[in-house]
Amino acid sequence: MSEQPNTPLLEAIDLRKTYRMGSVDVPVLRGSSMKLLPGEWVAVLGSSGSGKSTLLHLLGGLDTPDRDGGEVLYKGKTISKLARGARNRYRNREVGLVFQFYHLLPELTVLENTLLPGLVGSGVRVDRERARELLSTFGLDHRLTHRPRELSGGERQRVAIARALLNQPEVLLADEPTGNLDEQTGSEILDLLKKEHQAGLSIVMVTHDRAIAEMADRVVVLHHGQVEQDQSFSIQ
Amino acid sequence: MYHFLLTSRYLTSRIIPLLAIAAVALCVALVIVVVSVMTGFLDMIRDSGRTLMGDVMISYPVNGIPWYDDLIEEVEAMPEVVAAAPMVETIGVLRMPYPRGAVKEPKMVQIWGVDPERFAKVTTFADTLMWPEVPEVARYQVSHDQAYGPIIETFDRAQRIAILRASDWTNTEGMSDSQVADMGSALTLPEWYEHMRHLMLNKGRALPDILRDDQRLEMQKVIAMEQAGDLPVDLDVTTEGLTMTRDGRPGIVAGIHVSDANYRDSNGNYQIGGNGHWWLPRYEGALTTIPVDASGGTLEPETELMPFVNEFSSGVFAVDEIRVMIPLDVAQRMMHLDAAEIVDELDPMKVVGEEPARATMILVRGQDDVDPLTLRELVRAAYQRFADGILEDRPGSVRPPIEGINPSLRILTWEEQNAAFIGPVEKERELMRTLFSIVYVVCAALVLAIFWAIVHEKTRDIGILRSIGASRPGIVWIFLLYGLVVGIIGSILGFGLGWLITVNVNGIHDLLAQPPDWLAWTLTAVTGIMVLWTVIKLFSGRILPVMLGIMISGILGLLTALVFILDAQGGVVIWDPAVYYFSEVPNTIDLPSAIITMIGAVIFSLIGAAIPAARAADIDPVKALRYE
Repeated sequence: MSEQPNTPLLEAIDLRKTYRMGSVDVPVLRGSSMKLLPGEWVAVLGSSGSGKSTLLHLLGGLDTPDRDGGEVLYKGKTISKLARGARNRYRNREVGLVFQFYHLLPELTVLENTLLPGLVGSGVRVDRERARELLSTFGLDHRLTHRPRELSGGERQRVAIARALLNQPEVLLADEPTGNLDEQTGSEILDLLKKEHQAGLSIVMVTHDRAIAEMADRVVVLHHGQVEQDQSFSIQ
Repeated sequence: MYHFLLTSRYLTSRIIPLLAIAAVALCVALVIVVVSVMTGFLDMIRDSGRTLMGDVMISYPVNGIPWYDDLIEEVEAMPEVVAAAPMVETIGVLRMPYPRGAVKEPKMVQIWGVDPERFAKVTTFADTLMWPEVPEVARYQVSHDQAYGPIIETFDRAQRIAILRASDWTNTEGMSDSQVADMGSALTLPEWYEHMRHLMLNKGRALPDILRDDQRLEMQKVIAMEQAGDLPVDLDVTTEGLTMTRDGRPGIVAGIHVSDANYRDSNGNYQIGGNGHWWLPRYEGALTTIPVDASGGTLEPETELMPFVNEFSSGVFAVDEIRVMIPLDVAQRMMHLDAAEIVDELDPMKVVGEEPARATMILVRGQDDVDPLTLRELVRAAYQRFADGILEDRPGSVRPPIEGINPSLRILTWEEQNAAFIGPVEKERELMRTLFSIVYVVCAALVLAIFWAIVHEKTRDIGILRSIGASRPGIVWIFLLYGLVVGIIGSILGFGLGWLITVNVNGIHDLLAQPPDWLAWTLTAVTGIMVLWTVIKLFSGRILPVMLGIMISGILGLLTALVFILDAQGGVVIWDPAVYYFSEVPNTIDLPSAIITMIGAVIFSLIGAAIPAARAADIDPVKALRYE
């Protein structure tokens, strides 16, 4: 682990998260900490049930840690302590989320799905040009008016990434973005992320695949809700 | 805004919102039809009041208002008044021409003595006359009445007794001549010539002994014309009805349901009993009233034999079954309300004063744009001027009743006069409106259930929207908007459906009363096709089409059976004019009520959508995203 000169963009400090399954408390995160520096690509590696998706949800402000269960800092501010409106704005503008199952709205077209964060956010310009540009960059020009069900898996994931990037977030949070794709398509998606990363995007990517994780600058290994290893590939 | 985008997409890409819209539309249509018919009913009562009685009436029952022509002059001088007419109202007994034979049925009637010309200016009396001419079904009888009637009128008492004794249709054995004569006095003209014809055809030999030569000659002439088939019909019932006279004699215009021989068939058409035989203007009626003197005691009953000259149909059953109209002067005479000289008690030849003619009611019709209540106050002021004027102009004469002294003197609008009649109908409408408003709750429950399903189905979408920064109120908005749109579209469709049903309600009613053959056969054919389709789908291996097929065939089959049963039973009359006062079901939309109904439906749709919307907003985004 090397010392970075700049302050972290996103930081998880001793996160704890417990879910209730019936009458049993299941601790998912048991004191996990990690940092994301500006412009960095961090992979969170772990087997299923290790708590990596939960960690991502906490980073994305979709969920809050347990009481006294640590905190998530974004540019030094505690996300869970933000007002509701501010938290919605954080999800809308500061981070972009990409999921394994794409999570596109089936009733909307490709273009409309991409534009959604612009439509949802208050005080955000609905930038159709940017949406078109993004989709064009991702090779989806001819798909603008199609519905998600008419698209292949790889195409759907590219739409999801375009959607995540619409409001020009600082951080992209990706949860197994290639988990549902074949190897060829998956690597196309990873190439795409790599390009965005090179253009300055910070990424936190959750995966269970060590090969994919190794594309990142740094890998955080989660095991049973705790960070076991935090290693930087760029140094190695 | 993404709300509009999502709402419109959710609406257009699913079947479920169509169900919600259909539910709302049906609820709205139901309420609109029920309330419109009730309101139409109420309006018809109000309108009929105006057409029957004018807008405002001054009434002073039994004793009547003296110097009423002065009053009418005073009232008609006001620019707000179109016309005013005097009237004498009383009750009496009318001897009807039926049944055949010496004993006729009497009937309780309300008598309106009116001056036809003035009365027609205040009401739409002329439009309510039932017979513009002799109806086809009665022409044959009328031609005979007119041919034989004048001859029979020349018969003397002895001849009449002889005819009745000779006729097989009467049993006069052991009866004295005067008893036979009494029996004959009850017979109608048509009955007389039926006896005559019977004698001519079956007992030809008896007649020559009874008839005088001139009568026989006339008789032979008429018989020859009858055999040649050119007995004329010369009866102008319209003029007779409008003037209430026949050949210079005062006549009766009776309500269409006064005669129990008139009835309506299941199509709502008037039929005359006995295939035209009992057409009332063929006969005379004996009207009996009991006049009352100033001290309240009864005088000798007055009976007046008058021809029926026409019938009227006001559309209000309660009126048509009891009211008869006769000329004002006849009514005044019968009730002793006509002008008379007051003579000295000791010297009957010495005239000491004048008793003026009286009217128990003055009907006033206002200009169309004058509010009835305003008119009432104007008439009240005019009455006061009239009463004051009589004291000045005719000192020492009979004084008109005055408000405050004579409590029976009433100056009321038609609605006030008939509050007891209108009030319950108004209450009934409110009751219906309230009861049917429960339909709204059903509507809200349906919307709630449907929206609950929609929210359930859209849980993942909600998670996605939350993950990209949508706020909770934003999510609520999507579904509220959804409810709003469902409510609005449903209301508009419901209005259209309600309008269609209301406007065609009489057609639908007739269809039920007498289902046409094509309906039964079309339904049979459609049911057959549906059954066939179901059988074919049995082999498809899928359950849904079979289930649908069985259900639709079942419903169609039931409908078909119903139509055939109705056909066999000759249809059902739901809107019986005897029960509902009016001959037609009101068929105009009550727009204010319809708009209230529509707004109500929108509000209840919103309420139905609000709970699922709130639930949607409360869904944990992480769980929602995992939701499959």
